[in-house]
Amino acid sequence: MEKKYLLKNEQIERLLSPHPLSFMKLQALCIFVIVWGIVVWWLTEFSSYATIFSGNGVALWYPLMLWGLVLLLVGVVAWLVTIRLSIFLLYLAVFAGAFGLIYWQHWENNTSLFIMVYSVAVSIVGFLIIELYRRSHKYIITNLRIIFKGGVLTKRERTIRYDKIADIDAKQGILGQIFGFGTIIPVSQSGFGLGSDKSFAAGGVELGTKKAKLFGFAGGGKEVQTPIARSYYELHGVYPYKDVKQLVEGLVQTHVPTQYQKEQVEFQKQQVDIQTQMRDLLHKQVREKPWGKAVEQANEEEGREGEENEGEEKIVMKKTIAEEDSLPLEQVDIQKQMKELLKKQKTVRVAEPEEEEVEEEDEDKEEGKEVA
Amino acid sequence: MANVPLDIDVLVGAALAPIIGVVAFWFLQLLLIEIQKRMLLKLRHRHEAFCRFTNFIGILFQTICHALGYTVTRSGIAAFQVTVNYGKVQPKKEKTGVFEWIVNSFLLIGPFFIPAGLVLLFSYFVIGKGFTFPTPVHYTFVESLTNFGVSLSAFAHEFIGFLTHIDLFNPLHVGFLLVLLFFGLGIRPSYTGEERKEKIDMIYDLKNIKNHLVQKPLYILLIVLFIYAFYLISLFLNPRLYVALFSVFGWMSLTAIIALLLTYLILLLIKTTDEIVARWKAIPFITLPVSYALARVFFIYYPMKQVESVSLIVMILSTLVITILLIKY
Repeated sequence: MEKKYLLKNEQIERLLSPHPLSFMKLQALCIFVIVWGIVVWWLTEFSSYATIFSGNGVALWYPLMLWGLVLLLVGVVAWLVTIRLSIFLLYLAVFAGAFGLIYWQHWENNTSLFIMVYSVAVSIVGFLIIELYRRSHKYIITNLRIIFKGGVLTKRERTIRYDKIADIDAKQGILGQIFGFGTIIPVSQSGFGLGSDKSFAAGGVELGTKKAKLFGFAGGGKEVQTPIARSYYELHGVYPYKDVKQLVEGLVQTHVPTQYQKEQVEFQKQQVDIQTQMRDLLHKQVREKPWGKAVEQANEEEGREGEENEGEEKIVMKKTIAEEDSLPLEQVDIQKQMKELLKKQKTVRVAEPEEEEVEEEDEDKEEGKEVA
Repeated sequence: MANVPLDIDVLVGAALAPIIGVVAFWFLQLLLIEIQKRMLLKLRHRHEAFCRFTNFIGILFQTICHALGYTVTRSGIAAFQVTVNYGKVQPKKEKTGVFEWIVNSFLLIGPFFIPAGLVLLFSYFVIGKGFTFPTPVHYTFVESLTNFGVSLSAFAHEFIGFLTHIDLFNPLHVGFLLVLLFFGLGIRPSYTGEERKEKIDMIYDLKNIKNHLVQKPLYILLIVLFIYAFYLISLFLNPRLYVALFSVFGWMSLTAIIALLLTYLILLLIKTTDEIVARWKAIPFITLPVSYALARVFFIYYPMKQVESVSLIVMILSTLVITILLIKY
């Protein structure tokens, strides 16, 4: 990553990309196509069942029919299990491609051999695309944030600061445990990184009505909130998993204020509040000693407002009279208030911050930090 | 009903013979496992992932056996967890006494026989022959031991015959070979625990089994009585039954032994390739399937007898030669 993209005082801790085996779910789709293509070839050419597939006319298409049927069946099962229509569409496209090529080039006499070669070729292309996709992922762990970059054609980027990470979800599959890679999902305070798993079944029982739908789809059932994200929004299959996890957790820890720090900020905030109030009172006291001036000033200020609104003039006059009456008392009142504030300052130093104040802390967190 | 002569050799000796045979083969199995673990230990520093993989299979087998124990005793399974470092099975209800003892038996002795039993079942569909039970005539110790040996010998003959004629273009054969190799590699885990690695070796296994057996001598007596009762019943109903039961255990041990011997070849190849320069290291592993495929294609155009075996020899020899050349130069 170029330095110009970094923030001030930002340093790169680690540059990562997914482990080659971390996209095994996608690679397994290609492996299945290869294996099934070879099995069909062996079944139709060398096995004891080869006679079933020998013959002319429709029999020439039997290997393709068998291959395609199982491929699509697996595609449907994978679609329903993983809730990804793209798997079925991918297998459908592979089947359609094979069918189209045989029909176009008139390779009906050698369908089984063609299927084997085609399966291997398609899978190799699939592997290359997956590798390209994997290499498009870049994860940059800096001392201030995590930057996720990904996408082959459409470039995507996500940045998350450590103080905004609410939760860290980490998972390591069997392959991950063997080869030492794993996935870390930083869940943000806004809930980015959380998804829902919703069951969806074909020909199942419709929820509530207890009616079986033989044709069509019946959705429903559970919807569970789980940490889930696209591979370019999570640290997908990073190696070495344990070290990276430890590093991220450590960085999050250093960026999140501890309870003691929170209490200190709250305490200082209270101190500043008290001092501000005392300053205001002192100002008031000093201002009002030459009481005539103060009354004049007050009259001027309120008079200006009164010019704008003539209807309020009478009220201003009444106020001035009231202030004149309570002047000696006000001085006493200011002193009383100051005494109370001093008392409060003393008690705050001794006592723990109250629960209500802690709750308020979240709202005024930024302000509190500045004060601190 | 068979005409059985009543003497001490028939009533006691013949009953002991297959048990001795099974124990002997099991010890051989243990010894070979120990050798394999020592080979793995030498590879560990360079092939950590490979060793973790073998350990995972071992722990998987062990955990499955443990879970099977809880299922058999109807304790139910509340949680089942298998990782690379440890396996965990939690029963729904904790049963004590004989049930607990049975569960522990599954955990300690099961891994040596249950996975092997599954491979044996698979081998029945692939090999299909060699599962013979000789009929006893004299019902003596020697004859019983001989019959056990004959049964195992017939099985071993067919098994080795299958391996030497294996058709690597046949998905079923390839599948069986892979299962056999995976089973051989992970017959027992090498260690448990992530932080404090507890080594699992032959002594560890034997000590655990001994403690388990000594813990409840009454149960052992009951098992011996049960076996003896079964022997007596089979003696008068169908004399082949008793030897057949132990022959199955013998076949399991034999399957494990063959699997272990095959894995030695893999481990040896991995160890040898470590001496090759890093960028050429993959060549022997590529030579293995490529040379076989080329040989098979060659024999399609120039047909001859025993094509599968000759192709296997070509594969082994070419891999050997290429590996030696890569090490030398």
